[in-house]
This record gives sequence, structure tokens and C-alpha cells, in this order.
Amino acid sequence: MVRTHGLKKHFKDPKLGIKKAVDGVDIAASPGRIFGLLGVNGAGKTTMLRMLSTVIKPTEGSATVAGSDVVTDAQKVRSSIGFMSNSTALYGRLTSREVIEYFGSLYGLEGARLQERVKYVLDKLQIHEFEDRLCDKLSTGQKQRVSIARTILHDPPVLFFDEPTAGLDVVTSQTVMEFIEEARDMGKTVIFSTHIMSEVERLCDDIAVIHDGVVVAKGSPQTMRDMTGEHSLERAFLQLVKFQAGYVSAKQVTE
Amino acid sequence: MNDTFKIAAKELREMFRDKRVKFGAFVMPIFLVLMMVQLFGFIIGAAKGATKSTIYFVGAKTEFSKAFENSGMKVLSVPTAEDGIKLIKQDKAKLVLDIKPPKEDGQVIIDAYFDPKQQMGQLALSGVQQALAKENQDHLKVTLTERHIPESAAEFIKLNPKKVEVGSQGAGELIVGFLPYLIVLFAFSGGMSMAADLVAGEKDKNTLETLLITPVHRNHIVLGKVIALASVCFLSSFSCLIGLFVASVAKLPGSEEMFKNGFGVTPAAAGTIILLLLPLVAMFGSVLIAISSYARNPREAQTYLALVNFVVILPAVFSQVIGLTDLGSKLWINTIPVLNSANNIRNALLGKTDWMAVAITFGMSTFLAAIAIVIAVRLFNREEVLIRV
Repeated sequence: MVRTHGLKKHFKDPKLGIKKAVDGVDIAASPGRIFGLLGVNGAGKTTMLRMLSTVIKPTEGSATVAGSDVVTDAQKVRSSIGFMSNSTALYGRLTSREVIEYFGSLYGLEGARLQERVKYVLDKLQIHEFEDRLCDKLSTGQKQRVSIARTILHDPPVLFFDEPTAGLDVVTSQTVMEFIEEARDMGKTVIFSTHIMSEVERLCDDIAVIHDGVVVAKGSPQTMRDMTGEHSLERAFLQLVKFQAGYVSAKQVTE
Repeated sequence: MNDTFKIAAKELREMFRDKRVKFGAFVMPIFLVLMMVQLFGFIIGAAKGATKSTIYFVGAKTEFSKAFENSGMKVLSVPTAEDGIKLIKQDKAKLVLDIKPPKEDGQVIIDAYFDPKQQMGQLALSGVQQALAKENQDHLKVTLTERHIPESAAEFIKLNPKKVEVGSQGAGELIVGFLPYLIVLFAFSGGMSMAADLVAGEKDKNTLETLLITPVHRNHIVLGKVIALASVCFLSSFSCLIGLFVASVAKLPGSEEMFKNGFGVTPAAAGTIILLLLPLVAMFGSVLIAISSYARNPREAQTYLALVNFVVILPAVFSQVIGLTDLGSKLWINTIPVLNSANNIRNALLGKTDWMAVAITFGMSTFLAAIAIVIAVRLFNREEVLIRV
């Protein structure tokens, strides 16, 4: 359902020259499974998701989402995806219902079909109590529920989540994770980017560890542990990304 | 509904809920026009009053000083010229007249003391000079008649001013002095407060990506934003006319001088103004969106917008004084952006619309609006511009 081949994204930086944000990534994500993109900050996860969601174009390589090419058939790709990130905000001067209806109309839903889908997401995410409140006045958890509603309103077969729980409290994170599990159970293709290992253990069926724009390992969480000989996924991940402490010990300083 | 209009409708809904738009784009132009009308009215009233202000005469009241009193001036006495000068220095008197005894030939010399830095003093002096000129003329006529010389000898060449009405009746020249400037200014600044939010603000809040991953074509997104912003620019600009209408209906103190000819803005003038504004706001809306797209965040956008604002203000300011030159009647002036619109709005308000000039201005503004739209669309389609924050 989501497949990339030799996907590259190079940015030109006037000071640093060419920056290889993603450099030849091959991944394949299937319906009914959650594919985890693991990496430290700046590893290239967000750039990958931006290319897959057609926000930016690859420098080289190819990618298909729901059978459509991200470059030549971008509009079809955009109709087939839902994208959610913790950093994406809502329009503060619109009410929750207005935001949901607005995005529904942009995804081509109209009339009775639009109202039916809006009712479905309002019911499902229990938004009714604050549906007429401006988004600026919502709590973080309420905003996240509206974001989820916006993501699934058009019932896309592919869902991208870019660190969706970063900065959220335990209760709100739980809602998000349950929603992702439900999406998988409904047969959606889910790509989930994170660096929180407990979430990976709980959610991901397949993972790719990405570091400096390159995939350094692929497989199930168990494959990662076996590959590195580590018992925890966190230790396995640190070994794969060749972790080095960003500080020296007090003893070394005094010596 | 077309995607472009869906985007525009959403942006307008958001903007109309924003206090900055309500006050900056709509209340402010109306308020400013009301203030200008009152201020100009007050100044004209004060200037007229100054010619009939208080005059001090040295010594006791005479028949001569009473003549001034009879003409509507307030006349007071001071014992000596030094006392009068002291009052001027204390800013208690504007003009002190010291009538000297008649000379042998009968001529009366009057020393007029005033502070040349005081406009009120100069106005009072001018009022006295006018009164004395008439007095001198009447005296001369009497003398000439006594000597059997025709009265016309006193005025060998007589200037006879005749008013020629050009075009239809328009607004008073005082209104024409400031209204085109405000109309053009608010066509830009009315949308300035929101422009930074529309793209740079969306980058900053990370709402832009959610919009970019919808199936809506990017050209439709940017055009929707341009239409929304241009609409606000237009309504803000048109609010100046609403303000003028309110001022004429409300008959605020001091405004009677400004509305001697009534509201003054004819339906034809209003129609011409709308015609001139449409391409102008399209150009401004596109420029504002292009700047907002280019900027990394709203603060950076505000910095660029403040600089561009000067490019609009300068020609708009010049339009206020264009009547002092003959440039307003030259056809080439209609190729200068902003100034051309302001000048044609001025002519429309004066009831002297030159349709050739309007056509050139409309064409030039439409051409520039098209270029600005192309730039805005191209910038919005460049990913290195869109995703940089």
C-alpha cells in the first residue's frame, strides 16, 4: 500500500552545501499493519512523511501510496491519506465543527455525505460537547480529538502519524494510541514515526530505523533485538544508531 | 463550490472574527474620516473666526475703532503701544493697532503690532487689511466724484472673477484633499494586519501542512487567500466612503463647512471609485500574500510589510497635493501605480472623471495585479519557501 524505492531528498543549504535529509530509502507498509519509522530528531522521519504525503517532492527515487505515484499523481495520493502530527494546529477562530466541515469539503465531501461523516466523527470522538467552541478555547486533549476527527473524516485507506503523542499527557496519548490500533484493525495502512520505544513495542508490526537519512535496519521489533543481541528495543535502537554520549563523565573531566 | 471559494470563504469567516480586522480594517477608516471631517471643519471655522477676532487699540475708543467693532470684531483698548506689545509677548493679544495723528496731507498711519510666528495674528492682520482696503477704496471714490473724475479711474484694470463649472457637481475640495489618500491607503493597510497570518502565520502554527495534504491544488489555495484578503482590502477602503456618508448625515459640529454641497459623492463617482479599486485591491492582495508566503513567520512578514507600506504611502501622499501642479491632467501619470488610482479617485470626487485616464489606470492596475498574482502563485508553489520556518 505504501512503497518507496531509493527515495532521496537533498536540500541545498547556502552555508552547508547539499544536505542529504533522506538518502535512498526503501520501505514497504501493508494494509492492516502499523509500520514504525524510528529515528532520533533530524534523522529524516518527517522529511520521509512529507514526501509520502506530497508536501515536498523527492530529489530522486520513487514512492507510491495507495497505488498512486507521489509525484505524477499527487492529487490522488492526497485523497487517500490522513495525516496527523502533534505539531499541526487547528484554526483558532473556527469552531471544532467548522474545522471538521471545512476539511471535509476540501476532501470533496458534500451535502448529506458530509453531514453523515461529520456526525460519525463527532460521535466517535465525543466532540459534541465542544463542537461549537472556538478551537482556541479547547484543551490540548480536545484539540487532539478534533485533529483525529479531521484526519479520519474522509475515511482514507492510508494514515500517517508524525510523532502524534509528543508532548501529550498520558491520558491523551492513550486515546491517540487506541485510535491508531483501531485504524490498523480496520485494515488501514499506518505509518507511524516516533522515537518513543514503549509506543513502538505496543503498536508497530514492522519498523525501519532511520539514521542520517539512511535506513540502518528493518524488520519486526523482535528482529531488531535479535540483530543486536540486546534485550530491550531501546538498547537495540541505540546500538543501531551508534549512540555516543553527548557528555563526558565527571571523572574524565577531573582527570 | 469551487475549491478556491471554499478557501476564500473560510479565510473571510476567520478574518471577520478577528478584532484586528474589525477595528483596523473597518472601524478605523470610518473613525478617521469622521475625525478628519471634524478637524478640517474646525480649522476652517477657526480661520474664519480669526479674521473677526479681538483687536486692541492704543488709547480710548474712537469713531474709527468703533467702525471695526461694527464690522463684527471685538475691540479693546490698551493705554500705550508698549502695553500692547507686552500683551502680544504674553500671548494675550494677537494684534494691536496704534493710530497715529493724521499727517498734513490727511493720511492716517496705523502701526500694527503682531507676532509673525503666530498664524492667528497674521489672520487678524489680514482681516484688518481687507477692511482698510475697502475703506480706502470708498474714500478714493468719494474724492474722485468730488473732483468730477469717473470712479473707474480708481481701478484702471478691474479683475472680474467668473466661476466656470467643470463636470458634474462633486465633493468639496477639502474632502477631495484627503479622501483619495485614505481610500488608497486603506486598500492596502486594511489587509495588512491579516496578511501575515494567512500564510506565514499558517507556517508558524503548522496549519499549512494540513492544508497542503488535502486534494486541493496549491494554485486554488493561494488564489482563495488572495480573494479573501483583497475582499477585506476593498471593504476597508470602501469604509472611508461610509465614514464620509455618516459624517454628512450625522451633521457633526464643524462638518457643515465640509458639506456645503451635501454628501458630494455622486453615484457615478462611487461607481468609478469601485471600478478603480477592484484591480488595485487585487494587486495589493496578491502582493500581501506573496510577502506572507515568502516570510518564515508572521514577525518577518510584518517587517517586510512595513517597508512595502511606504511604497504605497508615498504616491498616496503625493496625490493629496497633485492639484497644486498640472501633473494630474497628464495622461502618463496614469501609468504610475497607486498615484494613478488616487488621482482618478480625486477627479471622480470632483465630478471631473476623465474616462481615458480611468481606462489607462484600470489597465495598468490589472496588468500589475496579474503579475502580482503570478508571483504569489509561484512563491506558494516553491517547497523551499513553503516549508522553511
